[in-house]
Amino acid sequence: MSNLGRILLVEDDPKDVELTLTALEEYKLANEVLIARDGEEALDYLYRRGNFATRSTDNPAVLLLDLKLPKVDGLEVLQQIKADAKLKLIPVVVLTSSHEERDMVTSYKLGVNAYVVKPVDFHEFVNAVKELGIFWALVNEPPPGSVKKS
Amino acid sequence: MKSERPNVTALPKSPIVLSIIQRYGLAVLSVSVAFGVSLVTERYNFRAEFTPFLLAVAVTAWYAESGPGIVALIMSSALFDYFFTEPRYTLEVSASDVPRFVVFVAFLLLITWFGAVRRRVERELRQSRDDLENEVTQRRAVNEELAKRSAELQAINKELEAFAYSVSHDLRAPIRHIAGFTELLQKNSASVLDERSQRHTTMILESAKKMGNLIDDLLAFSRIGRAEAHKTMVSLQQLVQEAQSEVAQETDGRNINWKIGRLPACYGDRSMLRLALINLLANAVKFTRTRPQAEIEIASTNHNPDQIVVSIKDNGVGFDMKYVNKLFGVFQRLHATEAFEGTGIGLATVQRIVHRHGGRVWAEGLVDGGATFYFSLSKSQGV
Repeated sequence: MSNLGRILLVEDDPKDVELTLTALEEYKLANEVLIARDGEEALDYLYRRGNFATRSTDNPAVLLLDLKLPKVDGLEVLQQIKADAKLKLIPVVVLTSSHEERDMVTSYKLGVNAYVVKPVDFHEFVNAVKELGIFWALVNEPPPGSVKKS
Repeated sequence: MKSERPNVTALPKSPIVLSIIQRYGLAVLSVSVAFGVSLVTERYNFRAEFTPFLLAVAVTAWYAESGPGIVALIMSSALFDYFFTEPRYTLEVSASDVPRFVVFVAFLLLITWFGAVRRRVERELRQSRDDLENEVTQRRAVNEELAKRSAELQAINKELEAFAYSVSHDLRAPIRHIAGFTELLQKNSASVLDERSQRHTTMILESAKKMGNLIDDLLAFSRIGRAEAHKTMVSLQQLVQEAQSEVAQETDGRNINWKIGRLPACYGDRSMLRLALINLLANAVKFTRTRPQAEIEIASTNHNPDQIVVSIKDNGVGFDMKYVNKLFGVFQRLHATEAFEGTGIGLATVQRIVHRHGGRVWAEGLVDGGATFYFSLSKSQGV
């Protein structure tokens, strides 16, 4: 089960990872999170390649995706997921610093399920991440083939 | 860019210039031909009179100007007189020949005059063609320069856009971290921090938040400069209402008397104008905060048929007219941050929006006596 997470967080900045995990901890969701440090790692996980070749076939219930990532950026990851028949059912939430309309429009065109701008204010940030976690990992009924809460 | 080449090739590059020998040769040749034709026609008992000679004189005067024309005239007169008028084979001139001679001379003058006119017109046409060509060359140079500048500007704009994007993304992240971890520190270590340290963490938080707001405002400001304006007919009345409800959350529990006059429609970018109005109304609300009864009046003063002038008047703390030129600058503030919060970008944003609509923005104020902000917009699509 160590390779399983109901939330796949794709985020390169360790500080953002820590803040996000802190926010999810309050609802005991932190243990459900798997972290990918760049787009390539995220795709490796989803396609069960490299380090993740042996993981179980279940998909995460939601993908929290930063846009600015090393190697393969968030929009490319999004594009690949939504172009793949097996992966496109996974809900993808863009969680980014970018306020730019261009990024938002591109994300929605690529079929993103939600677009959230990380608030500067910590309380708002915690609330946003918490709500995202609760909604997508607990409330939302994920597509077949996703990790289910046992 | 398409360069339009006017069709100037119809005229020869240089006029046909006949040499002096060619010109007088033409006189001799044309008269000789006329003489030959007359001889032949006479042989067949068909008297062509002096028509061939007239033609000879005309052709010479037309193509070789007046000098050879006179030579042709003299030769024609002499030949005609000698060979074709009674008594033949003498150069005797009788009174009956005078009309013929007069016709010859009149004809010569007429054709010479026509030729002169033709040459003058040709010269002028050539002149204007040359002028036109020069102008085209110049314009092409100017166009090339413009295209170069435009490409440069586009490159700079792209760079600026990349810069703003990077600011938006990279600058906000560390601020979020500062705010986030300071907050965590406050929450988790409140028991071990003394009062002074707690105050310091609060200050760090406030500064981080302020920095966040500054970046957001600055980004919004730069976006107005970069964004394309989508202009349509916009009802200012409706926009003011929207702006009013937008700032309403700041007015909770306050006594504000709004007076909104009749406002016309104008031609502009809806979301930009909305932002400008929100900024102006928010300012009016902010700077009347110290008043027990705030008065905010929005009206349209309309003296010019092509222009709309909107005024936003409040009875707030006002400002010193000495600093009126600083009012619309970026990061310029006329009040202490403790008294009235703000980043100093609001009015700069208003100015940028109004300028992008070809309008003007100005203000009148009095310390402790309220302020009135005006902006003008053009009524029609002509901007």
